[in-house]
Amino acid sequence: MNNGQTKSIVLICKSDVILTGLTEVLKGSLADEIIQLHRGDEIIDYPEMTGNILVIATTEEIEKSGGFIRQILSDTGTIQFLNIYLEANSPHPNSSVNIFDSPALICYKVNEILNSFAVIQPRDTDTELTKREIEVLKLLTKGYSNKEIADQLFVSTHTVISHRKNISEKTGIKSASGMTMYAILKKIIDVSEIDTADLI
Amino acid sequence: MELFNENSKLASVIHKDHSLLPVINRLGIKLGFGDQTIRNICEEKDIDINFFVEIINVFHYEAYFPEKRLLDFSVSMVIEYLIKTHQYYVNYLIPENDRLIELFLLANPEESNENELVRKFYANFKEEFVIHISYEEREMFPYVLELNEAIKNPSFREQFRQKHPGFSISGFEKEHSNMDDKLDDLKNIIIKYLPPNYDQNRGNAFLNNLFMFEKDMKNHSRIEDHILIPKVKQLEKVLLNHE
Repeated sequence: MNNGQTKSIVLICKSDVILTGLTEVLKGSLADEIIQLHRGDEIIDYPEMTGNILVIATTEEIEKSGGFIRQILSDTGTIQFLNIYLEANSPHPNSSVNIFDSPALICYKVNEILNSFAVIQPRDTDTELTKREIEVLKLLTKGYSNKEIADQLFVSTHTVISHRKNISEKTGIKSASGMTMYAILKKIIDVSEIDTADLI
Repeated sequence: MELFNENSKLASVIHKDHSLLPVINRLGIKLGFGDQTIRNICEEKDIDINFFVEIINVFHYEAYFPEKRLLDFSVSMVIEYLIKTHQYYVNYLIPENDRLIELFLLANPEESNENELVRKFYANFKEEFVIHISYEEREMFPYVLELNEAIKNPSFREQFRQKHPGFSISGFEKEHSNMDDKLDDLKNIIIKYLPPNYDQNRGNAFLNNLFMFEKDMKNHSRIEDHILIPKVKQLEKVLLNHE
């Protein structure tokens, strides 16, 4: 996963038929990975799991091995439990699922939880300007030439040109006036700082 | 890759790629052409069939550019097409852009500073663009047509040489890249950097028009840079050899 925050489901049920069926249903969910276990303590075979984990199991199973699961998976992100009921018409709270629910409903409830996991947004370093690039950009918007910018920042013209190239690559903006627009819209400079008549 | 040919029905060509509509207009065809093939229509309207087919194919597939074949077309035919393209920009696309950008900006009057910037940026782009095409029509195209005439008609050569002593198209060539960059920047600013409180539908309409403009302009530049200019250089060599 490129953002380093995978979403996994751990299904725990003694019945292979139910495990297989639920796995099939949850293939349509947002989970990146689905692991099937017959008993909670089998989690010991998966100590290397990372990311956010949703454990789906019966109430009894969660009571029995919830603590153990947390212990084994202590290095991961969020761990959440979802109760699953196995009998038709058994009264079950809204926050749980019943295997007699429609596949779509099960998937929906699971996705709601998976979505609630705080996703640590990867900082998009590829498009973020560095401090130096922002300095160059500010000077560019004031109409300074590459040479003048180089003198002010005590670097070579060549360096300024390479900064400009990087700014263009990151922002997708090529012209000098386009860069000014960008700087204003991104609040890097204030519109009052430039003379719009010069925006060519 | 499927190319259109003279046996293609024009209606199905348009169904496959409706961005060709202004292109066929430029080539002299209006809607309402029934089930006619390109051949039928071109014969009826006295349009060069090969030119028609190549122009729509070049527009339709960016990767398709049969330079050798395109170089066979007469300079005057290419220029006529380019001028019609200019007219389409000046009479329709640009006024339409003007209208759509105003609608777009007026939907969000409280952002007056930002609106002013976008407006100014667009106005500068437009000005540069209009100067560019009027320069081509005033200076470059007449030169090319006169050169062409001088090749065909020896009695005109002396007059041509006097008017253009150091005749060379390189003096007329102007970079297209600057305008392409600005158009690209305008698109990026709207797509990537405008605050989210703009009117979406009007923004989309304006952007759609910009994309159309861009596609057309790129095609136009391609025909100028890779057909017209090389052709003119050929003609200049021919004239030089007559000296």
